[in-house]
Formats: sequence, structure tokens, C-alpha cells
Amino acid sequence: MNALEARGIHKRYGGLAALADVDLTVKNGQFVAVIGPNGAGKSTLLNVLTGLAMPDEGQVLLAGQAITRMATNKRIRAGLGRTFQHGRVFARLSVLENVMTGAAIRGRLSESDLRDFSMEIIEQMGLADVAHEAIMSLSYGRRRMVELSRALACRPHVLLLDEPAAGLNSGEVDQLIDRLAELRAVHGLAVVLIEHNMGMVMRLAERIFVLNFGCKIAEGTPAEIQADPAVLSAYLGEGYAHAVV
Amino acid sequence: MADFVQLIINGLAIGSVYALAAIGFVIVYSATGVVNFAAGQFVMFGTFAGVATLVNAQLPWPFAYGAALLIMALFGALFFVSVYLPLRRGSIVTIIIGTVAVSITMQNAALLSFGSWPFRLPSPVEDSAVSLGGAIISLHALAVVAVTAVMVAGLWLLFNRTSVGVGMRAVAQDVQAARLMGLKVNRLLAFSWILAAVLAGVAGLMLGPMWFADVNMGDPIALKAFAATIIGGFGSLPGAIVGGLFVGLSEVLGASYVSSAYKDLISFGIMIAFLLVRPQGVFGEKIQDRG
Amino acid sequence: MAMRIPLQIATAIIVLGGISGMVLPEYHLRLLNLSLISAVAVIGLNFAFGYAGLISLGHAAFVGMGGYGLAILTTTCGWSPWLAAPVAIAATAISAGLIGYPLLRLRGHYLALATLGLNVSFYIVTSNWIAMTGGTNGIARIPGLTLGSFSFSGEHQFLWLALMVLALIAAAAAALHKSRLGREMIAVRDDEIASEMTGIDTTRIKIAAFVLSAICAAVAGCLFALHMRFVAPEDFTYAHSITYLAMLIVGGEGTIVGAVLGAVLLTFLPEWLRFLGTAYLFFFGLLVLGILVFLPTGLVGLGQRLSRRSAKTPLLASARAPEATS
Repeated sequence: MNALEARGIHKRYGGLAALADVDLTVKNGQFVAVIGPNGAGKSTLLNVLTGLAMPDEGQVLLAGQAITRMATNKRIRAGLGRTFQHGRVFARLSVLENVMTGAAIRGRLSESDLRDFSMEIIEQMGLADVAHEAIMSLSYGRRRMVELSRALACRPHVLLLDEPAAGLNSGEVDQLIDRLAELRAVHGLAVVLIEHNMGMVMRLAERIFVLNFGCKIAEGTPAEIQADPAVLSAYLGEGYAHAVV
Repeated sequence: MADFVQLIINGLAIGSVYALAAIGFVIVYSATGVVNFAAGQFVMFGTFAGVATLVNAQLPWPFAYGAALLIMALFGALFFVSVYLPLRRGSIVTIIIGTVAVSITMQNAALLSFGSWPFRLPSPVEDSAVSLGGAIISLHALAVVAVTAVMVAGLWLLFNRTSVGVGMRAVAQDVQAARLMGLKVNRLLAFSWILAAVLAGVAGLMLGPMWFADVNMGDPIALKAFAATIIGGFGSLPGAIVGGLFVGLSEVLGASYVSSAYKDLISFGIMIAFLLVRPQGVFGEKIQDRG
Repeated sequence: MAMRIPLQIATAIIVLGGISGMVLPEYHLRLLNLSLISAVAVIGLNFAFGYAGLISLGHAAFVGMGGYGLAILTTTCGWSPWLAAPVAIAATAISAGLIGYPLLRLRGHYLALATLGLNVSFYIVTSNWIAMTGGTNGIARIPGLTLGSFSFSGEHQFLWLALMVLALIAAAAAALHKSRLGREMIAVRDDEIASEMTGIDTTRIKIAAFVLSAICAAVAGCLFALHMRFVAPEDFTYAHSITYLAMLIVGGEGTIVGAVLGAVLLTFLPEWLRFLGTAYLFFFGLLVLGILVFLPTGLVGLGQRLSRRSAKTPLLASARAPEATS
């Protein structure tokens, strides 16, 4: 049984096929990346997987259970997690409170248990010094870390990351890579990474899926993908010549 | 049967007034995104502009109507500058409360100027009636329907055949793009408000003879205009017309055939039913539930 | 720590209210009582709107349900107010849950107009269902609240009842703010999609916020009925709903102190403007508009800016959610 599976996903917006017959398989504990030029359908795929958009055809399976039409919050409780491309945090809550909203997902924990559990995650993510600050007083990069902490507090089995490096400076990107590498070692946590930063992708991913114009054009190990002519032409055509690491 | 025809015509007449109020409301909403809770008071101002020019100043008909509409146009411009521009960066709720506060101000301005006794606003086709298959149809009611039809046709021409109208449609669809195309957005937004005020003025001048001119008439009209736009489809001009006529008809027919006391409940009940079942109304576009 | 802030609020309300009660003349005392009743309602509205972001223009209908519920049970059925009040409040809460379930799928001005329609419908029903509600004549001769031989009917006596109830509700609201439910309500307004993505059932939370607001409204309605001893459709119109919302915005949405301040200010303001004669409502409207334009964060926001304190307590925490999209 796979941690997460998408089978034959079709999604049209008016006359435009955002996704056409897309398959994706993520095994337990596997670190997978989805790459492709802008407009390839990566965010649409994430939206379909998380229930923000309904596919016209196809199925989504979480640990073997069909969740294609399930409400978003139910999917999260079933073990899916996600962060957003521009980082979505709760502006009026503190850092700690943000993470606590995620921690609360696991049943009837007392306030102090929630706080302790959340502080643990906050410390692991290097945010202990700002735990009680209003979240909007943090820098963009640290805010995205809080978002990631919140997603982790939900204790997902599969974590979907939508361009986590976007908008970060190089120091923050290195920190992010370290954190994600640590996550790779976490037992049972599968990760789907959508990213344009190829250094990050090639370093962390065990398997890569490539989308272009809504279709999957390649799938394989980092080495295979780097040599794949279809991928190269898709990227070279968009001016991504530097993508080959 | 004769009664029924009479009721239909009356329903269409009232409905036409609601339709004009709703159209003004929709124009402003489409162009500026503002839900104008003072929409009913605009109509009331139109009626009292008529009182000022016809009853108080005793101007001859064409001048009186022209002057009244000019006053409304000026008021629309004043509203744009003193209410819309300061409020437009606020949240939805700020704008709602803001337009409500203005509504209170307008109502009391009228109260201060005209007092609380209702006025009788005359009509140029006063006391004339036409016989139609045994039914006595007031000429004013027919005139209201006719005038509304003419105005709607005029609006169609404006929006489809003039550059101003096309500009307003562009602004309604995408303000940024309109700006980038070099359109004078602020001028077009101001014009939307002025147009809405003039339409409300026409509605008020036509409504006056059918009801009384009363400083409290604004709120019930606003509610009917809202119901009309919800039923017809928020942001849709044909929807405002259809919705307005529907509300007018259901009010008049409901009062006669169902219950005079609960006649308004019918329109609001239908409005709420639409909101729950089909919030985009009859003509509106599908509303994206997910933000 | 958890109980400190609720206790602070409750104490402040009782002390300030008590002092005012001793100082103010009878007429102003009456206004103070009315403003305290409104404050209870507005704290409720703060749950629905300030925390969860639901634009409700029908809040007065819930106040009315509480008031009429108590009135009918005490006059027609002869119940004691002590029994009638909880029943009326419970009935209102259940109604809110039932109404909320279909209604809260709407957002923004659609929700505003739907709640407006509900309030108007409530008015039409109470005006016309003469057998039940007495129509436009309302229901009179509602018994006052008594505890043994002590009666809460006079202005001074009622003041203490109102202060106690307000203190209790404000304390409960402050406790809620720091609870899981409070966080989730705030999260839902701040970012509904992110809330869903954190496993929060946003529909359930919105209904909970709506029901909580209705409970507070019903409490206010019961207080109103017990104080005025008379309810009529005119007391619960959509104009009142809009006033409650204005009180919250002017005071500072999202804050408990703001709710109370706004209620007191907007109850007293028309009276302070009475010297303007028939023009006072005209200036009232302009003043509210002015506050909205120049003080968008309300009085509490102004207080924060003046004292330059960072907003960390639920008393004052009111950082506006970024209004990026609807």
C-alpha cells in the first residue's frame, strides 16, 4: 500500500486542461519531488490532492483509502499535510498559538499538553526565541518555518510542500534543506516537494516526477531525470538551462 | 380577470422602480465592489428632489424633472468624493457600516429639510386612466414601465456603444488592467456613482406619485433592491431587472392573493431560498465557494 | 495565568460600573443599563464577527428571540423568569444552530444580506403573528426579576444585575479567547483555507461561533425584557443589528474591551448630541462615518497607538487580519 497515490487525474478549467491523466505514487517514508515549468499544473495537482479542487476524472488515495471527494480538514486528520506557496499563517495568533492549532488535531489533549508538544516542535525548528511573538513581527523566512512547524504538529504521514524555498535568502534555503533532510530521517514521514530550486530537489529527492502543460512527461531517480531529453527540452525551452546540476 | 390585469400592471410598475434602484446598485457594485446600503436613501432623495423642484419651487414639468436629476447627479459626485474615496480601502464591514452611517445622515438631512409629514408628489399623467379589457389601468403605472424600458435600452446603448460605457465595463472586470490600458479609472468610477444616483433619481420621481414622499421610505426600498439583486444575480444587469420585476409582482400579487401583512415575507423568503440554494441568482455567475 | 485576565476584566467592569452607578443621575443610569445590555449582545457579536469573521446583520433577531422567549414564557405560561430565561436562551441557541448550518456556507456580503433578510423576516413575523407575539403592540407586564424579597426592577438594582451578567460573560469570553476553540475561531477568520489545511472543520467552527453569539444575544434579550418589562417588534429591527455591528467596529473589533466601549459610546452619543435638537441623528451618522474613516481600528486601536503598547493580551489584542482576499 502506498502512502499517497493519484491515478488518472484530469482537471479542466473551461477549455484549458490544467491536468491531463496525471499519476503520482508516493511510498511510505519516501521523499518525492514534483518539478516542471511555471503553469505545468503542479499547484493544481496539490489542490486536487488536498481537496481545494475536485478532479473531473481520477482518484486520490491516502494509505489505500479513497479520498477523492473528501473534505480538506478530514484529509488532514487522516494524515495528509500541506504548506502553501506564499506561506499562510494566522496573523492574529502568536507563533506558539499557530503551532498549537495544528497540534490540536490529535484528539482531546489538555492545553498544557498542547503547549508542551508545540514547544518541542518549535525548539526543533529553531524558533524557540520567538515562540510568544506575534507572528507578523517575524521575517518572511521565519514565518514560513512557523507554517512548516504547524503542518508538522498535525503529525502527517504525507507532507506536501509547495515551493518552500520561494522568497528565502540563501542562508534560509540552506537551513530549510537541513531541516528537510532531518525530516527524511523521521520514521514514516513521506514528503512531496514542489520546487524550482534544483539544487534542493536533486539533493533531497529519491524520486522525481516532471510535469509540463498538465501532463507527466517523466518519472525517475534524480540521475535519470537529469539525463532525460524530454525534461531537458521542456526546461531549456523555458530558459531553465541552469537546471542541470 | 380585470383585477388580475390591474394587479399585474401595478406589480410591473412597482417592480420597474425596484429594478431601477437595483440597476443603480448593481452598477456601483460591479464597478467599485461596494455594497451600497444607502441605495434606498438615494431613491428617497430622488423623490424629494422632485418635491423641491415640483412642489416647492413650482417649476414646470420638464424643468422640474431636469433640475431634480441634475441635483441627483451632483449628489452622486459628492458621494463619490466624500464617502467612496475615503472608505474604499477599508474592509467589507467598514464599507457596510460606512454606507449605513451615510444612510442615517441622508435620512436625517431630508428630515431636517422637509420635516416628517409625507408629501404628495404629483405626476404629469395624474388621474388619467386607461381601460384595458375591463380593468382600469392608471396611466402613471404604464408610463413607469415605459420609462423604465426606455432607460434600460439607453443603458444598453451606453454600455455597448459608447466608449464611456465600455470603459465602465472594463473597470468592472479588472481595475488594474483598465488602469494599465490608460483608462481614467477614477473618472469612470465617479461616473458610475453619478449614473447610479441619476437612476435612483428617476426611480424616486416615478415612485413618489405611487406612494407618498416620506423621509422613511428609503429603507424598505433598499431591502427590496437587495432582494432583487440576489434573486436576479448579483452583479448582473438583466438580473437586476428581472429580480426587480419579480419582487414587485410578488409584493402586489402576494398582498392580494396570499396575505397583505406577510407580503414582504414572500420576497425575503424567496431571497433567502436563493441564497441557500442558488446564491448566484438567476443570471449570476457561479460563485467560487473556495476562496 | 489562565484565570488572571478574565478576573481582571470582570473586576474592572464591576468596579467601574459600580462607581458610575453611584455617581450618575437617574436618567443617565438608565442609559448605562441599556448600554450594558447592548455590551452583552456585542460581546456575542464579537465571537461571530470579531473572531470568526461572520458578517451578521441579524444579531438583533437573536436578541429578540431571547426577549420574546422570556416574555411569552413568563406572561402566557406564567413561568418564573429564573426558569424562563435559560429555556429562552437554549431555544435561541438551537435556532441559531439550525439556521447556521445552511446559512454559513455563504460569505461576505452574501452572508450579510442573508442575515439582514432573516432579521427583516423576524420583524415581519413578530409584527403579524398576533396570537403569539401580540403583534405591534408587543408583550407587556413582563414580571421583573426577584430574588426572595429583593427586586431587580429599579435602575440601581438592575445595574448590579447587569454588571454581574456582563462581568461573567466578559470573563467567559476572555477565557474562550485563550482556549482551543477561541484559537480556531480566530484562525478561521484569518485564513480559512489554511485552517482547513490544519485539520480545522471550518463549518463546525463557524456554527459554534454563530451559536455562541446567539447565546450572548439571547442573554441580552432576557435582560432587556426584564428591565423594560415590555418587548415589541420595534426593539429588535435590523437597524439594531447594524448598531451592534457599528458598536463593535467603533470600539475595536476582535476585542472584548472594544465591545464594551463601543456599546457605551454609541448608546450615550445620541444623548450627548441631543443639544443639536432634531439634527442630532444627522451628526451621529456623520460622526460614525468619521470614526470609520479616521479610526479604522476603533477606539481600542487608538488606545494602543497612543500608549504604544504591543497587543498581547486578549483585552487589547486586535491585530486586524490582513484582508488580502474576501
